[in-house]
Amino acid sequence: MKIINAIKSGSLQSAKAWKGVLITWFASLILVSLLALPIKRSLNSAFGKSMATEKLMDGVNLDIVTDLGPALSAVFSSFSSGLLMLVLTGMLINAFLAGGLFSCLRGTSKEFTGTGFFSSSAKNFWSFLVISLLISLMFLVLIFVVIGIPVSMISQSETISEPIAFALETGCGILFFLLSAILVLVADYARAWQVANEKSACFNAIGFGFSRTFGKFFTSFPLIIIILFAQLAFAYLFFIVSGNWTPVKGGGVILLFLLSQFFIYVRFYLKAWRYASVTSLMEQDYVKAHVVPEVLAENQGAELHELLTVTESHENASDQPILIPDDQKLN
Amino acid sequence: MRKLAVLSVGLLFYLQLISAQMVLDKPYSDRITGYKIDAKLNTVGKTVTGTIDAFWVNKSTDVVPDIQLHMYMNAFKSNKTTLRSESASLRTSDSSDNGWIEIRSFTDKNGLDLMQGAQYISPDDGNTDDSTVLKISLPHAAGPGDTVFIKVNFETKLPGRIRRTGYTDDFYFVGQWFPKFGVYEPAGMRYATKGSWNCHQFHENSEFYSNHSVYDVRITVPKEYVVGTGGMLMSEAGTENSEKDKTLTYRAEDIVDFAWTAWPGYAVFTDQWEHVKITLLIPKDRTNQVGRQFTAVKHALEYFTKNVGPYPWPYLTFVDPPAKGSGSGGMEYTTLFTSESVYKMPMSVHIPEMVTVHEFGHAYFMGILASNEFEEPWLDEGVNSFLEERIMDHYYGENSGMLDFPFLKVSDKTVARISYVHMDGRQVTSNNEYSWNYPHNTYGTMSYNKAALCLNTMMGIIGEETTNEVFREYYKQWAFKHPSGKDFVKVVNEVVKREHGDKFGPDMNWFFDQTLYGTGLCDYKVSGIKNTDLHLDDDKQVKNDSVDNKPSLRIHTYNSVAELERIGEVMLPIDVLVHFDNGDEVLESWNGKSRYKDFEYTGNRKIDWVKIDPEYKIRMDVNFINNSLAEVRNNVPVRRFTNKFTSFMQFFISIVTL
Repeated sequence: MKIINAIKSGSLQSAKAWKGVLITWFASLILVSLLALPIKRSLNSAFGKSMATEKLMDGVNLDIVTDLGPALSAVFSSFSSGLLMLVLTGMLINAFLAGGLFSCLRGTSKEFTGTGFFSSSAKNFWSFLVISLLISLMFLVLIFVVIGIPVSMISQSETISEPIAFALETGCGILFFLLSAILVLVADYARAWQVANEKSACFNAIGFGFSRTFGKFFTSFPLIIIILFAQLAFAYLFFIVSGNWTPVKGGGVILLFLLSQFFIYVRFYLKAWRYASVTSLMEQDYVKAHVVPEVLAENQGAELHELLTVTESHENASDQPILIPDDQKLN
Repeated sequence: MRKLAVLSVGLLFYLQLISAQMVLDKPYSDRITGYKIDAKLNTVGKTVTGTIDAFWVNKSTDVVPDIQLHMYMNAFKSNKTTLRSESASLRTSDSSDNGWIEIRSFTDKNGLDLMQGAQYISPDDGNTDDSTVLKISLPHAAGPGDTVFIKVNFETKLPGRIRRTGYTDDFYFVGQWFPKFGVYEPAGMRYATKGSWNCHQFHENSEFYSNHSVYDVRITVPKEYVVGTGGMLMSEAGTENSEKDKTLTYRAEDIVDFAWTAWPGYAVFTDQWEHVKITLLIPKDRTNQVGRQFTAVKHALEYFTKNVGPYPWPYLTFVDPPAKGSGSGGMEYTTLFTSESVYKMPMSVHIPEMVTVHEFGHAYFMGILASNEFEEPWLDEGVNSFLEERIMDHYYGENSGMLDFPFLKVSDKTVARISYVHMDGRQVTSNNEYSWNYPHNTYGTMSYNKAALCLNTMMGIIGEETTNEVFREYYKQWAFKHPSGKDFVKVVNEVVKREHGDKFGPDMNWFFDQTLYGTGLCDYKVSGIKNTDLHLDDDKQVKNDSVDNKPSLRIHTYNSVAELERIGEVMLPIDVLVHFDNGDEVLESWNGKSRYKDFEYTGNRKIDWVKIDPEYKIRMDVNFINNSLAEVRNNVPVRRFTNKFTSFMQFFISIVTL
């Protein structure tokens, strides 16, 4: 029930924050265009007025693409260096905008305003950045430990049969997915906590993320799995539609652009939905906690006090008090 | 009396091998050599021990004082052999990786020891540490028509790291494992100006050259081993040690080499294509690949039979080795070949099919048409790659012979073209090289891909059906013989002359001299389009009819010029398609010889675009992009790519930024 409530509430909150999602989408479009437009110019210059581009009408044609020669090397080189910059800049921008998004996805959030959005973005930027960097680092370690080492060992083994090797590699992939879900959950809880807290305390936030994830594992984990599966299904749809559609007229290309950007907008909406659902789940748990607001207020600041005051009167509030363990108390 | 007995036995053996038809309906080759081998696999010592009774018939008019034999397993004897000198990756400090062949006794038909007149020679590089060619001086020179019988007791140690041959754990692939005759080439055969043995050392970049032979082979292995060979199974029996071993007897006729494999982990599948019983040995845990492998080999059988010539043997065995034996994958022994696949290989990736089709193709090039792989590697690898590409693109899609993903399709011939066209050393050497002499790691690309590309280009010029006729004629004239490159070109000349008269000149030598035997590049370019408005002729004003009541139109007269250039050295006849703004199209022909060419038109139409080689038939052209030019750029493909790239990158960024 908690999970369904969190998903429902997450949907509503993310729908209400559509302007924040729009800002995020637009920022990503501008950011990627900084890489894509120079590549487009290089390709236009390399192909010139050749009719060979007609061989690209049905998709990638390696005969033609590789004949670009040095121009192709230049495109690859700008792509590879640009990609690194893109990821780093993307992390910075996302750290900034996610602060605003998380803020307007809270149960207590009021009507969306640009000022409020960017004010929260600025307020949470540094802690969100540290959280993102640390969780990304954990992802890299996870990839190395769960995928890199086992797969290289399996592939070098001459005694493991191929089906067993395949099963083990698949198992590593599944394990990576499940552990990734946990890391995502940690990151989302940490950011939700940080937004609810006045002080910037990124390490406490990550600590809270972990303790919350494992403390409420049987509600948190299914929730994130459901959301990630929904996102995977959407990704599949996106790649099938955008990947296979090869318009051959200018109008079709414009339609492709509009459709693919709509998909990207939905993708960012789904991401906001994930943020909102996790935030909602966290807030629901506080509803059940009949703790003395004044005591908490002393420790946790006015914003959290406000949250708890509001949520105590929530219609789903349980009559059974549940104490928040010390390690989950917000400091 | 003893001599007589031995002679009788020898003659009986010779007659049996020569005349007995146990596999084929008739002898297809001269059967200059024959082998009767009795071998036993020792799975503890990783050796094969055995005896060979073999013969060589002097079919020349020469008196031949010696014989020469390949002792290829000695290529793995030390790090100083020619093979390991040429290949750093094969050098080893682990003695179990080494392999060798040791002669325990070597006698003639009379029991006379021949080892006294034996010496290892190194005809290719003079490397005294290489013992892959053994020369035996005969006590009595072999006169015309004489038959030399030899009896050899040998022990072969298999190398521990498989490079085509060897073992890993309990997997064995046994190739180049017995003393095998070289080819005696009398004057006039191929390029020989005087009679001599053609018996090269074992090199990193070379394969083999042998006579078509008859093989009677008995192989004894532990009972649990599954065996596959290039022969047809005649019988299977236990041994005196029958609790543990079994002996399998095979016969093969008119093949150029005999190899075999043994491994307890094989599952055996059979299928039938017309008269050919096909056997596939594949790891038991990879049986999900069986269907695609049989489909591929049947496609190859069908295509080769139709476009080259019949596959005469009633059987064919192929092996998909386990991962631990992958060093033996992708090799051919006429009626036995090895493919390569992996468990869960996606059906969209046609690499297993490509390997199967390619290795099967070697049953023709150099199995039936037994060219010298050492000296003219393009004649088997290049020609076979050309057929492989055609088969893959014919059966698996013109644009998807290699990869068939929804978002990426790659044809087999594209892979070959890219490999040559974008290779750094593409002009370092021509194809007129011995296999081990290709410089700067160009052997693979030059002998496989460039040669295939040349033949594809030739097909673009003379047409597909004429090309098929070339191969049918080549088969007809040279099956079960030893053709050379010049023999192939001669067949091309004959067929092209027959089919097209003098359309391409007195012969096609100009083509091969420039492409295969030359180092020049082929590159044509449309350098410009000029549309000059000559004048406005008021007299030619045309009034529209009164129905649509549009204003009158003026007829412009243009001088339009399509400007073409030959950038490369190679000169080939090419088609040029000129498209005008009123929809007219003119297909021009250019002999491609001059450095530039203009096609000029005057009329009330402008040139819209020009394409050299509009059907992309001249696949040797190193740049397809400059082969065409339009007045107005078509932006759609680049814009579409940019749109997709942008959205994919946005998606990617949204994921990695949590």
